[in-house]
Amino acid sequence: MSLVKWKDKDIYDPWADLSSLQEEINNLFKVTNAPSTTGLFDRNVSPAIDVVETDESLTIICELPGMDENEIDVSITANTLTIKGEKKELFDGKKGKYFKRETWSGGFQRTLSLPADIDSSAVEAHLEEGILKVNLPKKEEAKPKQISVQVH
Amino acid sequence: MADVQTMEKRRTFCAPCNIYREDSKVVLTMEMPGVSKDELEVKIDGNLLILHGSKKAKSLQGRYRVKEIPEGDFHQEYTIDDTIDRERIEARMEKGILTLTLYIKESEKPRKIKVKAL
Repeated sequence: MSLVKWKDKDIYDPWADLSSLQEEINNLFKVTNAPSTTGLFDRNVSPAIDVVETDESLTIICELPGMDENEIDVSITANTLTIKGEKKELFDGKKGKYFKRETWSGGFQRTLSLPADIDSSAVEAHLEEGILKVNLPKKEEAKPKQISVQVH
Repeated sequence: MADVQTMEKRRTFCAPCNIYREDSKVVLTMEMPGVSKDELEVKIDGNLLILHGSKKAKSLQGRYRVKEIPEGDFHQEYTIDDTIDRERIEARMEKGILTLTLYIKESEKPRKIKVKAL
């Protein structure tokens, strides 16, 4: 007897529609696109991030549209990485008026604790098209090594 | 959820948008981080202003430890009325922000009529 996978991509899956509907309804109740705030007294917003790990490094991706390189502060203390800055308002609202306003502005901060095997002296960060990429290489000894096994 | 992603149509969502009106123009700004100038499409189809920014092939190779940024393209459609000058729409993509400047037609602007004394 062979084991047959029940799920076939060509077969219409009613659950896929249902789960996308659920997501759409959830999005309707999301009032703003502003990221969630953290902290009780300093109401900083924390922008969304992605963390991708490979064998050699860890990459942190953060969406910060409309910001300059010198407005973003990336710092490492011990094993804590902090990304912070202040996002400016695009229009001052003096000359005209807003019809719709969905973007957020103001101070933001995101703190991440890093694993111990990160080489903090070789960290690089660059900004492109509103996306901040922080590359954190792993220490030499933390990289996986291939040890060949000889068969006699 | 994986099945939804592999379906033919890539999922799209609306970019956060600001609409700002200054005396003779309407400025639309949209946050589209990761979309370059060439990946952006701005179309006018009759009364529809269609914006599409694709973020294809932007995902990195490796294991995702944290994934908060939604995957997909930006797509939005707006209806524009006759007061907008179709020939004079400026679009600029800078630092992940799309700025569209729509000008209001000369003939639609409020005019002052001088009252002449006899």
